Amino acid sequence: MPFDAAQLLPILPEITILVTASLVLLVDLYLDDQQKDLNHSLTLVGILIAIALTGAVGGGEARVFFDGNLVRDALSDLLKGSILVVSLLAFVYARPWLRDRGMLVGEFYVLGLFAVLGMLIMVSANSFLTLYLGLELQALTLYALVAFDRDSRKGAEAGMKYFVLGALGSGMLLYGISMIYGATGSIEFGPVAAAVAEQEISNKVLVFGIVFLVIGIGFKFGAVPFHMWVPDIYEGAPTPAVLILGSAPKIAAFALAIRMLVDGLESLHTDWQGMLVILAVLSMGLGNLVAIAQSNIKRMLAYSTISHVGFIFLGLLSGSQQGYASAMFYTIVYAVMSAGAFGILLILGRKGFDAERLEDLKGLNDRDSWYAAMMALIMFSMAGVPPTVGFMAKLLVLESVIRIDMVWLALVAVFFSIIGAFYYLRVVKFIYFDKPAEDAPALLTTGGVRFAMSVNGLALLVLGLFPAALLSLCQAAFA
Amino acid sequence: MNLLLVVLVPLVGAGLTGWISRFGRMKSAWMTGGLTLLSLACLAPSALAPFAGEVVVRRWPWIPEVGLDLAFRLDGLGLLFAIMILGIGLLVVLYARYYLPERDGLGRFYAYLLLFMGSMLGIVLSENLIQLLIFWEMTSLSSFLLISYAYRKQESRTGARMALTVTGLGGLAMLGGFLLLGEMAGSYELSVILTQGDAIRADPLYTPMLVLILLGAFTKSAQFPFHFWLPHAMAAPTPVSAYLHSATLVKAGVFLLARLFPVLSGTPEWTWLVIGTGLATLLIGAGIAFFKHDLKGLLAYSTISHLGLITLLFGLGTPLAAVAAVFHILNHATFKASLFMAAGIIDHECGTRDMRRINGLWKFMPYTATLAMVAAASMAGVPLFNGFLSKEMFFAETADFSSGFEYGWILPSLVGLAGVLAVAYSLRFIHDVFFNGDPIDLPKTPQEPPFWMKAPVAVLVAICLLVGVLPALTVAPLLKIVVAAVLQAPPPAFDLAIWHGFGLPVVMSLIALFGGVLVYTTRRPLFKLAERVEGQLLAKALHDWILAGLLHGSALATRWLDSGSLQRLVLTLVLSVLALGLVGFLDDGSPLTGPRAILPIDGVSLFMTAMLILVATATLVLHRRRLTALIVVGAMGLLVALIFVKFSAPDLALTQLSVEIVTIVLLLLALYFLPQHSPDESSWARRLRDGGVAILAGAGAGALTWSILTRPFDSISDYFLANSLPGGGGSNVVNVILVDFRGYDTLGEISVLALAGLGIHALLKDLRLPGLERDAEGRPWNWDLHPSIMAALTRLLLPLALLVSVFIFLRGHNQPGGGFIAGLITAVALIMQYLTNGVAWTHSRLSGNMYPLIGAGLLIATLAGLGSLVFGYPFLTSAYTHVHWPIVGDFELASAMIFDLGVYLVVVGATLLILIHLGLMHQASHPGPNQGEESL
Repeated sequence: MPFDAAQLLPILPEITILVTASLVLLVDLYLDDQQKDLNHSLTLVGILIAIALTGAVGGGEARVFFDGNLVRDALSDLLKGSILVVSLLAFVYARPWLRDRGMLVGEFYVLGLFAVLGMLIMVSANSFLTLYLGLELQALTLYALVAFDRDSRKGAEAGMKYFVLGALGSGMLLYGISMIYGATGSIEFGPVAAAVAEQEISNKVLVFGIVFLVIGIGFKFGAVPFHMWVPDIYEGAPTPAVLILGSAPKIAAFALAIRMLVDGLESLHTDWQGMLVILAVLSMGLGNLVAIAQSNIKRMLAYSTISHVGFIFLGLLSGSQQGYASAMFYTIVYAVMSAGAFGILLILGRKGFDAERLEDLKGLNDRDSWYAAMMALIMFSMAGVPPTVGFMAKLLVLESVIRIDMVWLALVAVFFSIIGAFYYLRVVKFIYFDKPAEDAPALLTTGGVRFAMSVNGLALLVLGLFPAALLSLCQAAFA
Repeated sequence: MNLLLVVLVPLVGAGLTGWISRFGRMKSAWMTGGLTLLSLACLAPSALAPFAGEVVVRRWPWIPEVGLDLAFRLDGLGLLFAIMILGIGLLVVLYARYYLPERDGLGRFYAYLLLFMGSMLGIVLSENLIQLLIFWEMTSLSSFLLISYAYRKQESRTGARMALTVTGLGGLAMLGGFLLLGEMAGSYELSVILTQGDAIRADPLYTPMLVLILLGAFTKSAQFPFHFWLPHAMAAPTPVSAYLHSATLVKAGVFLLARLFPVLSGTPEWTWLVIGTGLATLLIGAGIAFFKHDLKGLLAYSTISHLGLITLLFGLGTPLAAVAAVFHILNHATFKASLFMAAGIIDHECGTRDMRRINGLWKFMPYTATLAMVAAASMAGVPLFNGFLSKEMFFAETADFSSGFEYGWILPSLVGLAGVLAVAYSLRFIHDVFFNGDPIDLPKTPQEPPFWMKAPVAVLVAICLLVGVLPALTVAPLLKIVVAAVLQAPPPAFDLAIWHGFGLPVVMSLIALFGGVLVYTTRRPLFKLAERVEGQLLAKALHDWILAGLLHGSALATRWLDSGSLQRLVLTLVLSVLALGLVGFLDDGSPLTGPRAILPIDGVSLFMTAMLILVATATLVLHRRRLTALIVVGAMGLLVALIFVKFSAPDLALTQLSVEIVTIVLLLLALYFLPQHSPDESSWARRLRDGGVAILAGAGAGALTWSILTRPFDSISDYFLANSLPGGGGSNVVNVILVDFRGYDTLGEISVLALAGLGIHALLKDLRLPGLERDAEGRPWNWDLHPSIMAALTRLLLPLALLVSVFIFLRGHNQPGGGFIAGLITAVALIMQYLTNGVAWTHSRLSGNMYPLIGAGLLIATLAGLGSLVFGYPFLTSAYTHVHWPIVGDFELASAMIFDLGVYLVVVGATLLILIHLGLMHQASHPGPNQGEESL
């Protein structure tokens, strides 16, 4: 098929990120240690351009290009934008930390940017192959990022675990994809959907394919019982890596689930719904219960992630447009919350010391009341307390579950979110009610971080009060 | 618009007040008072509508996507609460200005207060349940801020946290209930919901919905067993207690009962749950209140008790009970607010709240004493005060309700007991504080407070009196519309006279009054008894116990599931996959075996399968002896090559064969650094377990393969078979795919291979690892590193091997072979020289610098691709022609062969680069004079 240069237009954001990553890779070679900030600036400029381009090429009818391997639609526009914005926040937060430890090197930005590129490709994928390529690009760079601090034994262990388990997870996904291909004869979502609608579940191979896809999705999301990597990796990896790993990739994982289960296999909804129900209940239950006992805040946030994934699954499994939209809303909101939470942990760290225990948050209010307020907002939002957006997100997914008459599931979710609220409130207690430790180091912050964190925290409040704009975008993606 | 403003003015004003406090504490007090008045003024234009029987509903679009509007509703109930919130709020603002110490800037306090006021107004004016819930949780948050106002004190923090935990969690439960209710009614709008009472009560999910909503209401209204947070919340500054714990926060729960009364009430579930809770709260609250030595503690428990009373009334479910409940909400708000304020004055003036030390204040502050005594009398239910009226109605309703039951007398007698206790604690409040001898050891000498501190108390007490004496003239009209709003029906006829004639209620009131006095006189032995059981309060202990249990369970789950061992993680993963796979297996939608006919088993296949199984098992058994295991793995590779031959894919077989050899060499080089045997680490039980899991997983994979192989399948290979010769000019399909159909991929692959070589070089360059010097039996390595016979033989073999590789390369396009295989063969031939003759010997004849080779290969491949562009074809288009060579005969020359040459060079370069550097690592382990680059 002749190549049409116009096909490059919709992937301009991806191209921008690729060019930026390559540029940083190259420029970094010629920089002194004092000049490494240029990497940072280049990265931010690249992401900003990509955001602008996402807006510029976005909108309008869905379009399939590159022989049906990529698609640009309302879903990809919104998710790309969210991934880029969240990543922008992450890079801004990470800089003082890296600088303080003399780790402000080009590799961090290159790896981070390639991870972002992988996520963007996942979001735009219109075939199993593209999706898998994007996923692996993201996963491989993240493995490296986890082991980024080469002198850290914990980091190396975490990287190793992540790699072994991640490879298993990807393997499962690939296994599922190959079975779907075997059953339908195609790897593009459109033809797969057509073939699936024709065969229904008369084909055992298809059923197995779905099982393995769901396992792969569960793994990439970190849903119970495929969650085991999450706490260890969150604890072991350097905090900037966790920041990148724990925020935007959730959006990409959402795209993974939507593209495969909805674009490809929606007519088998009843088959994957049951499995998602199991994963959702287990995730919400285990995540919230175990989070209570954690004294390490990174581990606590890891289990909190797991429980939030359960909520995202609630929206997904409902199988309705409204459900998908609310799951999408939840995912985006979660990514923003997560970026903020880890951003605060970065601020609290200092060379040779990472804010890891809950006690390290003690008396944040006395140290910096504005950051304390932002962290409190984030915690309230994670707990789902109105008027923060976390409440809206929970409300929407619960409503979508109730609409399909799975009331018991909604009640289970409510029950576990009640339990979950405990540990978020405990963080607030540490921030406001306890005195800072005597030897607490000064906060590691810059004007840029303060600005980004304010935007991040206040966004949770503003989105909670006026969720209509984001929600209508989410709904438009599934209209 | 004005309804929205009523709520928004305090919420927005909160920030403003906090800011203006920079300019002086008076400014923020005036600001707060002004904003409260403004909010009241905004309410005024609509205030008359409920009296005309109208319900004012105003809405603005908010989240149209899910059909949620920002909607406010003003009816009688909302109006009553709004007036209470704003009116008492105004008095509290005034009071707090004098109560809080001069050094306090007040800005933060007033900002929190306004925030709370706005949220509370939001609750009572919401038309939409979701919106109501948002304001509900906002009251939890803002009350948290208010209670923890003096956050330097431990008790404030504990109290605030407990209040937030209990009410916040109750709110989440309520969210579940509201979602259910909204689903049943089809809307979250109260206007819709309130009309569908019958349908909702008949819904199968009515009970869970009711329980969830009641959980929310009961936690907020401090009903048993959630009452324990309220006394702890008394750590708040007294103005906050006067506001939150009399008129507003705790009333939100009973407000909700009133709001949803027409929808939820009237079922047995409602009756038993609400009456039971209310009664228990009423009795427990009254009982504990009497024994509290802390002035505010007494008031707190009495609040709990009165809330129980109101709840009990709603539980009765009759219209007249609803009248009594609403009336008591109003009365309780007035007398309790004034009592808290009076307690605050006493605390302020005496420096303590301990009633065992505060005595005889009558002599020091007669005015305050009078006001407090009136309010306390109202609380006790003494005639001529408003508390008497609603309490009388309460007695009448309970007596009326229980007359229909066999053991009906129990309820009135328990209620009577509560009345006795109420009189007793009210009496204690009056007598202990204002009389009862002289004060004992007070930190300060009490005196009358400033006028403006007494004024709010006086206003409230005046209302108590006015309502108490002239009920019909004062509250009757308001009460009528409130009741109409609660019932969503015309209000029943009720009579607010002081004297209804002699009947059971009067008897109960009399018993309460005299019984109360009697209990009070015998208080000393009772106090002694109370001291002994103190600290064993059921609910608080339960709360702590649940928390501890939760923590314990969580820690247990962490220890069990979260051990951090990778083996454990992988085991869980595999087991979960097996479990989920089983779900797919059991799915009875289709059989495992597909429709395709099963082919007969031939001998060769059977043999190879058996060999595969044998070899795999052997690897497993021998894996501790590493060298042996490696040989067996090599056998596995050869078997795979044989399978390719069996399926008529000689090309793949050749590739497999050469790759296998290179891999084995690679592994051998790495093996050098490892011990020869791996230790036996796992126990038998563990090995059995792992074996079982492995067999299960293998069986699962086998079943999957079976299900795929027994189904018809359209392979894409037909396309390539058909187009290979006409499109790519080669009959070796595999090679044509590599260099033509998938030329792009191949270009990418060789680039990756080149990069991998460079990467490995970068990692291994200058790396020197000490290998083992002796084997497991302690024998040193053979001194003869390069046996001469072998060296001579391989030198002879080299030209032969190179010739073979050229042959394989040239025939590649049509016959099995090609650049990739040829490259591997060349690499193997050269590696043999390294192995048998040593690096030094080889390098003296052949440069070890592989970069030019790799670079040239990449360049040639890329140029071959670009070449087609020159002729106007897309990148990597292949052209071919036939030439007649003298000896060879007819020979096809395809442009793709140039590309293949690039592949060949890169494969040779990269493979050698990797292997040489792996080999160079371990020179240290070779003792002797030849140390250095000599050895490999």
